[in-house]
Amino acid sequence: MISREEVRHLASLSRIELTAAEEEKLRHDLGAMLDHFEELKEVNTDNVEPLAGGSILANQFRNDEDSTNRIGNDAAVGAFPEGASGLLKVPPVFE
Amino acid sequence: MDLKKLTISSLHEGLVAKDFSAREVAQEYVKAIDARDGEVGAYLTRMSDAALAAAAEVDAVVAAGGELAPLAGVPLAVKDNMLIKGVTATSASKMLEHYVAAYDATVIEKLKFEHAVFLGKTNLDEFAMGSSTENSAYHVTKNPHDTSRVAGGSSGGSAAAVAAGMALAGLGSDTGGSIRQPAAFCGVVGMKPTYGTVSRFGLTAMASSLDQIGPFTKTVEDAKILFHAIKGKDVHDATSIDVVMKPFHYAPKTEDIKKLKIGIPKEYFIEGIDPAVTKGVEEAITKLKKLGFTFKEVSLPHTKYALSVYYIIMPAEVSTNLARLDGIRYARDVKDVKKLNELYVKNRAHGFGPETRRRVLLGTFVLSSGYYDAYYTKAQKVRRLIKQDFDEAFKEVDVILSPVTPTPAFKIGEKTSDPLSMYLSDIFTIPAPLAGIPAISIPVKKYTVGSGELPVAFQLMGKHFHEADILGIGEMYEKE
Repeated sequence: MISREEVRHLASLSRIELTAAEEEKLRHDLGAMLDHFEELKEVNTDNVEPLAGGSILANQFRNDEDSTNRIGNDAAVGAFPEGASGLLKVPPVFE
Repeated sequence: MDLKKLTISSLHEGLVAKDFSAREVAQEYVKAIDARDGEVGAYLTRMSDAALAAAAEVDAVVAAGGELAPLAGVPLAVKDNMLIKGVTATSASKMLEHYVAAYDATVIEKLKFEHAVFLGKTNLDEFAMGSSTENSAYHVTKNPHDTSRVAGGSSGGSAAAVAAGMALAGLGSDTGGSIRQPAAFCGVVGMKPTYGTVSRFGLTAMASSLDQIGPFTKTVEDAKILFHAIKGKDVHDATSIDVVMKPFHYAPKTEDIKKLKIGIPKEYFIEGIDPAVTKGVEEAITKLKKLGFTFKEVSLPHTKYALSVYYIIMPAEVSTNLARLDGIRYARDVKDVKKLNELYVKNRAHGFGPETRRRVLLGTFVLSSGYYDAYYTKAQKVRRLIKQDFDEAFKEVDVILSPVTPTPAFKIGEKTSDPLSMYLSDIFTIPAPLAGIPAISIPVKKYTVGSGELPVAFQLMGKHFHEADILGIGEMYEKE
């Protein structure tokens, strides 16, 4: 099981504001999932390397060349929700 | 022209023979969407004017005596988590309601190069997280075979569009079954290619070690044509692989396909499978036996752990990928804030639906200090065991056959209150992406379920880069 306090901590780490009702629902849902995960304890994974994924594990290299043309700076900057003179506007970081 | 009988290959022949124009075909599909989509709800954004203009360009090529690419004039439905320049790409989230793509995804660029026609962007579960499109922030896509039932998900919109004749083919993305499960529910073909064969550049990332783009089509032959049009290495996706370069190039002849041995994993034939699904899979096996294929029972002993492994690894990657949706760069609906942190928490609370929150929190949990090794690392180790199961089985057989889903399409609202029961609908589709192997859902036929009839499908899983095996067997199956 998982406590309301833990749900609040996770919400804070996830940068999501939750209502009290959501906290309770998530406490229940996450608890059920974590109970289900208990079955993994049955599996002997001694000397098993974790698998992160990928079909061919080889480094991918490319030449160190400018490749921004495909998107275009203006289109990317134009997609900003708030901007001015080609820059992204954000609220103050320091108070 | 009968839209029902049209396929990608017959459309191509018709255009070359000038039996009809690309604009006429596009117009017919626009009309079909007008007539049917109010009921089904497959589309989120329509692109009718752009589609007719693109079709007119195809006709101009024909008129000038030019050659047509295989996808020229083919009217397509595109899942709304893929970027088409100048068109909204919402991922069915409130967070991206007004987000307009600044560039084309690589798959779109390739299809535009072939002069394909895009009819619109289709519905999905928010950020591709779900099995029914009920997690869409906009509406639920209904199953064209029975509108009281789900189309499946997360790529439910593209599957329903193809099934209802509102697109000739479509694109979806598959992370744990999001192409194959809706394909099975809607009675169309859906394939998840080998991890790395199709570029994800311009696909809104969900779980990057699993996500793969693939085709929805009416026939296996069409799936092959569309797959070959979108595959290939892309410098913008470091996980993409050039499959035509040795040693991955693999193109068997028809007589070689006939020699392939098919494995039946005993762990996939468990209690709780709907009788209609059992009948459908048995019928497919019988038909393949008649075609001369030999079968062998195989064992994939770690199958039962795949769901737990998936629901640890996937949310971990989701919580990381969705961190970029912070109210800064893509959308900012809540603006009246004084502190930066307030901007994050309020925009994410406003923009993310319940399932997205659930997975972000679960992912944050399994990655957090104190739990990382017990959950995330443990799941990655069991993931290797699941992949090794397939490696072992593929020493004995070439292809593995199984059900796609435990049941046919379920009722809208049936599983929304219990997330775990919803997650269980993906138990047969989750192992393939964990192992990175290709898998295809092929319709058998409709079976009586309750008072109506619903499609049932079977799944073929192949070795890494052996799409040709599952497509080849599938093509023989559908021609029989």
